[in-house]
Formats: sequence, C-alpha cells, structure tokens
Amino acid sequence: MKTAAERQCRRLLEQLSRYIDGDLTAVERKAVAAHLRRCPCCRTMADSLKHTVELCHEAGAARLPADVTRRARARIASLLASDRSGRSRT
Amino acid sequence: MPATVTKQAHANPGVSRAGSRDTDYAALLRAAQAGNQAAMERLLMKSQEIAYRFSLLVCGHADDADDAMQEALLKTYRHAAQIKDPGAFRTWLYRTVKNACLISRRRRVGEPARLHSLDGDSLSLDGVSQPLELEDPGRRPDQVLENTRLRRALDRALLSLPPESRLIVFLREVEGLSTRDVAAVVGISEANVKTRLHRARLSLRERLEAP
Ligand SMILES: [Zn+2]
Repeated sequence: MKTAAERQCRRLLEQLSRYIDGDLTAVERKAVAAHLRRCPCCRTMADSLKHTVELCHEAGAARLPADVTRRARARIASLLASDRSGRSRT
Repeated sequence: MPATVTKQAHANPGVSRAGSRDTDYAALLRAAQAGNQAAMERLLMKSQEIAYRFSLLVCGHADDADDAMQEALLKTYRHAAQIKDPGAFRTWLYRTVKNACLISRRRRVGEPARLHSLDGDSLSLDGVSQPLELEDPGRRPDQVLENTRLRRALDRALLSLPPESRLIVFLREVEGLSTRDVAAVVGISEANVKTRLHRARLSLRERLEAP
C-alpha cells in the first residue's frame, strides 16, 4: 500500500514538466515549490530533469561542423547564381 | 521591415548564428519577400541547418543530411515568396524539413538501419564528421569535455526514444518551438504534446543518468 507521502511524490512527478515550463497555476506552482523544499528526493529529480532539458537546448545552439556549413553556403551560392542566369536569359 | 533584421542581415550577410531558438523567422521572411538578399540567404541557411539537425537527431542518419539540406533549401527558395502568413512560416519550414528527411530516407529504403553502429566509443552519429560543437567559447576545457560526453549521451538517448517522441523532443527542446507549434507540425493536440513531452523527458533523464 502506498503512503500519503509516496502519493504526493507521484503527483509531483506528473507536474514537474509543467513546473519547469512555467505552465502551472500560481497555486499549483506554490504547492510544488513547497514540496520540493521539504523532499530532497523530488528535488534531485527536478534538478536532473531540468538539466536534461537544458542539455537539449544546448544541442540546438550547437554550431554545425565547418565542412557542413561550407557545403550549405556553396549550395546557396549556386542556387542563387543559376536563378540569376536563368532570369537574365528570359 | 523591422530595422533589427535588416541590420543583422547586412552586418553579417549570409552568415547565421547557430540554433533556431532566437531567430525571428517571420521578420526574416518578410525581409526576404521585400527583396532583401541577405535575409533570403540567412533563411536558406536556417532551413539547411534545421534539416541537418533533423537528419542527425531525429533520423539518426547524418549521411542523408546533404540530400535533406538540398531539398529544404529548394523548397524554401521556391515557396518563400508565396507564403501569405509569415507567422506560419516556421511551422511550414519544420513540416517541409520533416518531409524532406523522410524522402531522403525512402530513397535508401533498401539499406539496413544503422542504429546498431551507435554502440561503443567510436560513436560518430555523423559517420563522416564530428559531432555538433557547442557554441560556448567561454567554458573551461574540462567543462567542454564533459559537455561533449553528455551531448553524445544525449544523441544516443534521443535515438532510443520512439520516433514520434523523438520528433516532439527535437521540435520543442532542441529547436525551441512552442507546444502549439509542435502540435501543428506533428498533427496532434497540444495536450497530447505536453503529455508525450513529459514522458519523453523522463525517459531521456533516466538514460542520461544511467552509468
Ligand atoms: Zn517528493
């Protein structure tokens, strides 16, 4: 049988993503924050989930490899050049 | 035409900052439609960057990236002028890239899945080149190393998610789309996006924590 504390932690886990995203009502947010203050286990969970999300954000900010960027630029240049020459013929 | 876009585009023509998060696509599109060449070049670069990350992180087949980038480039160039609602451009772009990546996969349909090559330390998701570098020159070398390790672990963890969850995480977390835009690209409800995103985050976290 689950204890009341376990049930609270389970409910908190379900709300964690919305908490991280700032997607909770003020009342819900306060309740989650209060639980996190007194429950080290959920605090660890919240921190590590937040870290996972941040890691994904960093992946989106990563620079592309130089050779990939070079090829991308060359593709743009050749597209624009062929379009210009196509248009000047007509 | 918003002054900031014009200024940025002229100061750095054709060169775009990495990442999608801070880009104002609607403003960029409006500038391109008004005949601003630098804005058009940035837009064409953005669409290719998205296609590259998509190939790498969602499809897990970086050797398809060139095909997907070419397709995204052409589609963006051909359709940019016709898009009536610049606010809808971003979701259009991601749908286009999604389709471009699926098309380049279909061309190689006879090939075996390459996910098995993801074990071991010689991991190179790219197959041909290095993993994405973090744009963070201010960090200490040990942090950079730690981040490279984590990034590879993340790439691996992402590829272990079911395809649709992977797509949702990619759009929401990596590319920074709103849950509403993710719902529009994937074709599911916003509530569904939130639920799946939460599940996917939990399982990513679990995999990243695993030794
Ligand atoms: Zn708890």
